[in-house]
Amino acid sequence: MSITRRDFIKTQAALAAATAAGTTLSGTTDAKAAIGDDIRWDKGVCRFCGTGCGVLVGTKQGRVVATQGDPDAPVNKGLNCIKGYFLSKIMYGQDRLTMPLLRKKNGVFDKDGTFEEVSWDEAFDVMAAKWKEALKKKGPTSVGMFGSGQWTVWEGYAAAKFMKAGLRTNNIDPNARHCMASAVGAFMRAFGIDEPMGCYDDLEHADAFVLWGANMAEMHPILWSRLTDTRLTKPGCEVHVLSTFEHRCFELADNDIIFTPQSDLAILNYIANYIIENKAYDQDFVEKHVNFTKTATDIGYGLRPEHPLQKAAKNPNKGKLTKITFDEYAASVADYTLEKASEMSGVPAEKLERLAKLYADPNKKIASYWTMGFNQHTRGVWVNGLLYNVHLLMGKISEPGNSPFSLTGQPSACGTAREVGTFAHRLPADLVVMKEPHRDFAEKTWNLPKGTIPPKPGFHAVLQHRMLKDGKLNAYWVQCTNNMQAAPNMNEEGYPGYRNPDNFITVSDPYPTVTAMAADLILPTAMWMEKEGAYGNAERRTQFWRQQVDAPGEAKSDIWQVVEFSKRFKIEEVWPEELLAQKPEHRGKTVYDVLFANGVVNKFPVQQITDNAGNVYNNSESKDFGFYLQKGIFEEYRLFNSAPNIPKKGHEMADFETYHNSRGLRWPVIGGKETLWRFREGYDPHVKSGESVKFYGKPDGRANIIFAPFEPAAESPDAEYDLWLSTGRVLEHWHSGSMTRRVPELYRAYPDAKLYMHPEDAKARGLKRGQEVKVQTRRGEVATRVETRGRNKVPKGLVYMPWFDAGQLVNKLTLDATDPLSKETDFKKCACRVVRA
Amino acid sequence: MSITGLVIHAAPDRAPSVQGALEALDGTEVHKVTDDGKLVVTVDLADDGQAAQVFDSFRTIPGVLSTSLVYTHFEEQDGEGEHVS
Repeated sequence: MSITRRDFIKTQAALAAATAAGTTLSGTTDAKAAIGDDIRWDKGVCRFCGTGCGVLVGTKQGRVVATQGDPDAPVNKGLNCIKGYFLSKIMYGQDRLTMPLLRKKNGVFDKDGTFEEVSWDEAFDVMAAKWKEALKKKGPTSVGMFGSGQWTVWEGYAAAKFMKAGLRTNNIDPNARHCMASAVGAFMRAFGIDEPMGCYDDLEHADAFVLWGANMAEMHPILWSRLTDTRLTKPGCEVHVLSTFEHRCFELADNDIIFTPQSDLAILNYIANYIIENKAYDQDFVEKHVNFTKTATDIGYGLRPEHPLQKAAKNPNKGKLTKITFDEYAASVADYTLEKASEMSGVPAEKLERLAKLYADPNKKIASYWTMGFNQHTRGVWVNGLLYNVHLLMGKISEPGNSPFSLTGQPSACGTAREVGTFAHRLPADLVVMKEPHRDFAEKTWNLPKGTIPPKPGFHAVLQHRMLKDGKLNAYWVQCTNNMQAAPNMNEEGYPGYRNPDNFITVSDPYPTVTAMAADLILPTAMWMEKEGAYGNAERRTQFWRQQVDAPGEAKSDIWQVVEFSKRFKIEEVWPEELLAQKPEHRGKTVYDVLFANGVVNKFPVQQITDNAGNVYNNSESKDFGFYLQKGIFEEYRLFNSAPNIPKKGHEMADFETYHNSRGLRWPVIGGKETLWRFREGYDPHVKSGESVKFYGKPDGRANIIFAPFEPAAESPDAEYDLWLSTGRVLEHWHSGSMTRRVPELYRAYPDAKLYMHPEDAKARGLKRGQEVKVQTRRGEVATRVETRGRNKVPKGLVYMPWFDAGQLVNKLTLDATDPLSKETDFKKCACRVVRA
Repeated sequence: MSITGLVIHAAPDRAPSVQGALEALDGTEVHKVTDDGKLVVTVDLADDGQAAQVFDSFRTIPGVLSTSLVYTHFEEQDGEGEHVS
């Protein structure tokens, strides 16, 4: 047989596609088996969203040349979305950073200087001097870090430990604050433990799907294809799609619902009211497994305290829950009649009633999905909770197909940002800094003196920018995120904060992003397959990969940077005498010695890393530190989630090597077995025989139904700024586009951001499709072009603009109003006007 | 060169017309159509940055419900004439 290489590759492609389609091709043999292959394939995890697709990574001569959907990955079963398809190109943008860059003038650091290449030694010398100066002048609250749901599990853990235990500051927060914090807040309030009870298997088990502010067709395409399969193959299956504008998911919608921004609060209370009025609720479930509560109201908008909206609030930032009776709850939702909900939302009554009837039908298993429509909401914690109310009233939870499910946007928003304690108030495995027993446990586990970890939460994401601007946060490190492009109100908060002469800003990134260019020091970062990694996806699945290739030039992984930087601090420079006196054995050591060369993290020697086929892989960190850093960190982390004496059960994980040999496992992992549905007997080993359902995150095993009313958005259209501005993503680009815009195919497919506008709104302003316009808010203006057709059809009165485009920084427009409880920004609602450019 | 393996999901009764539409496109081959409307497809393109737009255009073929990408291979050389066995 003689075939061209092209034919050979085509055969491979067809075979892979056939496998993913669940079929075989006759007349072809496995060409790879027949003739061998010069590409080394190994399992990996996609770099982009929170779906957590498995990919096979093909490496040839030290370069990733191919990827394919991993047919053995339970999440995606061999499929890729368009972004995942081009994964092999993300590491090879022409402007990869390969050396540290420091702003200099006349050979020395100068905030107003220009970037010059420096050695790692010089970079860390200057940076350490600035950090020590801040610590000396103002103490631990003057240093801080902003991290990422794209950090690997061990990177987030190492950073949190360095900041909270080493430098004794809780000023570390992840970009997941911008995307998941409201979901976290609601999980903790309702269930006392973070992350969804169900899993992706619900996509096949459910009889109906409801999307609440989630454009899965574009943002979670693989999950959407699973949902589509179920809709098309299961008789009677239906899909309800709710959004403030029409997007691609509406093509499959049986019940399409466009609602006025913020009125989701009213719609959900109406559904609860419908269920109660029709006595459709599961009385047995409610009596045994639920407490009824109400939350404090009139809580403000997470703005600066002097903002008029904050001053006007009666209970700013209050999240207190008060127990109420079922009857009191019923009376609270009784105001939300069909007529009222329809009027407030602008949705025809019959559509709302159809949705309510669906939830109230005891014979329909329902999976509800949401992402940023719910979470980026000034009442995000409330609205997450209102949906749990509906599922809890019906007992439709914690079993196959009945699944309120918060989707995530980042590959390890769950596994890293949430689970290892990178939030300003958190410690690993759902522990929090505010609770003394939790601090005690962490200090004991880390062999630190009592009192090392400060009890007060640090500055959250939005507050970090305010504190930078106000000169209270002075030494600041951003890793693995492009926050100058992401964070709201860049003109008034973010940019002035970075450029404040009192501050020294370090940004670690593979590429010169908007954030990097606003920094004083840029550190070049090894990314994705250039390091050994682990991510945790939205269904609690922890997945590992091996280092496939070496990073270019002097680029180093985030964990290398943190651990190496910790060598620059003597413990006496960061801890007071009363702590040292408790643990005199730490005297004279460095922060690195105390945190990472502590006999636990450095316990595992360097080992040869191989796959089952015997291929050998590099581990750059092992080589540099002389021990198996990733393994040591993970095994220390397991002391928080899997040791016998842990304060909070339910996050158990398998040992390090097990994950390298699996396609991921969903925690809690007990006895080597993963858990698909939590809180229900028969599925979750923490629920004992006879208990049927136990929400064991709460001391009494009961979940909270929490009444919360409608309250208006922080800023609504008025005479001066007459349109709602909603911002978000597009299929082709992932978040700020720092990776996907460097893939030529993705760049060409969607090169520049544009403003989606209703044709009549455009006409009324004398604007034509494609015309250049200015979008203006009270905070700034951005030039873009009008789109009156295309994939998104917005209603009159609302415009939508994606945020991936570094040339059109939509965050100059957005308001830094946050959910007062979760501190997550509402990127979906502010008021703007659109004028000719 | 840029060679892609895809699964295109069509409404089963429209799969034949989807197959016809795909086969009319340059570089696109349909290797199999399953009973439940899944088409096993390869696309062979020059590596000129157009691929994402080509894949997105499949959405506009009447009857196509979803397009899933499975396999990708990019190579500098075009692969013609290089015999591997």
